[in-house]
Amino acid sequence: MNKVESAPKITKETKNSIRVDFERTPLLERLKAKFVNVYFFQKVLVYLFKFLFLLGISYVILFPFYSKIASSFMSPEDFVDVTVSLIPRHPTLSTYKAIIIDNDYFKAFLNTLILSGSCAILQTFVCCLIGYGFAKFKFKGNSLLFLLVVFTMVIPHPTLQLSMFMKFRYFDIGIGKFSIFNFLGGGLMDSVNVIKNPYLNLINSYWPLIILSATGLAFKNGLYIFMLRQFFKGVPDELEESAYLDGSGVFRTFVQIILPLSVPMLITVFMFAFSWQWTDNYYTSVFFTTSGPLLMPKIVKVPKSLNTSYAGENMYVAAIRNTCGILILLPLLILYTFMQRYIIQGIERSGITG
Amino acid sequence: MNAAKSKNDDILGGSVKKKKRGASLDVRKARAGWWFVLPFIIGFLILYLPIVFDSIKYSFHEIRILTGGGFKLEWVGLQNYSDALFVDPSFVQTLTTGIRQLIIDIPAIVIFALFVAILLNGKVAGRAAFRAIFFIPVLLTTGLIADIDNANILMDSMESSEIDTGAGTNTVSEIVSVMDVQALFSNMMIGTELVEYVVNLVNNIFNIINRSGVQMLIFLSGLQSISPSIYESCSIDGASGWETFWKITLPMVSPMILVNTVYTVIDSFTSSSNSVMSYISRVYQQANGQVLSSAMSWMYFLIVMLIIAVVAAILSAFVFYQRRD
Repeated sequence: MNKVESAPKITKETKNSIRVDFERTPLLERLKAKFVNVYFFQKVLVYLFKFLFLLGISYVILFPFYSKIASSFMSPEDFVDVTVSLIPRHPTLSTYKAIIIDNDYFKAFLNTLILSGSCAILQTFVCCLIGYGFAKFKFKGNSLLFLLVVFTMVIPHPTLQLSMFMKFRYFDIGIGKFSIFNFLGGGLMDSVNVIKNPYLNLINSYWPLIILSATGLAFKNGLYIFMLRQFFKGVPDELEESAYLDGSGVFRTFVQIILPLSVPMLITVFMFAFSWQWTDNYYTSVFFTTSGPLLMPKIVKVPKSLNTSYAGENMYVAAIRNTCGILILLPLLILYTFMQRYIIQGIERSGITG
Repeated sequence: MNAAKSKNDDILGGSVKKKKRGASLDVRKARAGWWFVLPFIIGFLILYLPIVFDSIKYSFHEIRILTGGGFKLEWVGLQNYSDALFVDPSFVQTLTTGIRQLIIDIPAIVIFALFVAILLNGKVAGRAAFRAIFFIPVLLTTGLIADIDNANILMDSMESSEIDTGAGTNTVSEIVSVMDVQALFSNMMIGTELVEYVVNLVNNIFNIINRSGVQMLIFLSGLQSISPSIYESCSIDGASGWETFWKITLPMVSPMILVNTVYTVIDSFTSSSNSVMSYISRVYQQANGQVLSSAMSWMYFLIVMLIIAVVAAILSAFVFYQRRD
């Protein structure tokens, strides 16, 4: 290539501006060089693969929801009609109406809201305290205590099902008869074979779950403590040190400095606690008998007013159960659409480092 | 300053003030640490520990609820354990098949979670929407909803291309059939077991997605914490994406792999949907089955602990920590 020949031509356009004419490669050539090569091709392929893979997985996740929603609007005739599979032919709201009225949906909704709301707030706050304690303070037995937290996670629920029920069925209070002493005296009691102490029956009340939440022992609280501990470990120590220098106490620093900056993480934990308590059927089956308050698990049944005995019975019953599921999930879905932004933020900022 | 300090002491709750004044900041902070974890300590000591010990105690007893209130315990020694192992017809079998199934599932879940987390961390159109969708199962398809889904014939029949008679029985929905994949892999020198493994995974994909939500979350936050400058210097030195993954991403997330594997083991061994768990809770509902079920679950627990110890020991040899402090 001759450099002298391809030197740019400069022409004076007006008094203050000049125009430079470069001898550029034609547009087509430039585009070719940019797009028709192995690297670009590879990039596009990888990108397409990524996108399609994510799309496929999203389909797998969302399809069951779609099929549930579609079947919830189907009328009984649609289940015997083989040509109807995904779009209801005779859309109806009778299933929803029957469940809401016959199964007392709103009562269950209110009860579960009170229970889940209070438990989730308590759990978030208590786990936050505990997680902060583990993350930022080096006291003796820190790692041993944290091992105990992991231990509470590892024990399978059914292992403790019976003794948990017994603990709250025969919950004893009063000086000297706190559970720890009761346990120590338990060996003596066995010879008599009967527990004579007065006890408190907490079954069918919200107290067992509240007590468990307040002590960080409720469902998956070990996980929350772990998540929050990792989050607080990522918060730079300098923040607190400067607060201490300005004369702020440990708890004040926690409330005024640490809590405000961990709001996204707190919302994440709250969402977990709330949703898992909302759809929980393990603890509710342990602590609540049939005569207890109406909670969500109890509304999953076929409403009285719907007649299900016909050819498509199995399908219809399944659809009704799914509709109950949708009604249970609906509040959570609405909550999730609002909170989703914070959850992603919470994840991005948590910076868990093993 | 002085006032602040004494206020600090007050908050830390000390009766002996003179002694406190001499305590260094570290000591005072350590004391405050105890206050923070106090709820857990109280709960663990007066609630959880007795419950655990009671459970062990009950597993050695026969239990009767008395009509007048209260209950009666009869010492039977190891009888519940021997009943579970030798008298109960299907406990041992359920245990072995269940554990084998879980050992197969666990690597799949961890690898899938890592893979998706890397995809969700990169630049893809609609990333925010994908992230929102991927966390739906963790939050929503648990407990009650999972129970409804387990007994669900409707979704199966909707997914299958076969025409259902309406009776809704025996319609198996498979995304990929074993035959297709076997045809695909027949030319490669891969054992049939591996092929079946892959087919199982593909057909269980919904299950795996449901169970890998929290792991995805932990991986994602781990990936976020890797400094972008490392990747930048890598690409300047001419490393390909493949090399970057093996030399940078994998070592950097290896602590998370350990955490996630242990979590997956715990989560899948204690989830109510696995066969051993549902068997134990079925036994619990039987007449006089409560103590038998707690004996069973204690044995199960010991096995789980053993597996966790083995897994953690193997994996921790490969974990790379960036900071050694």
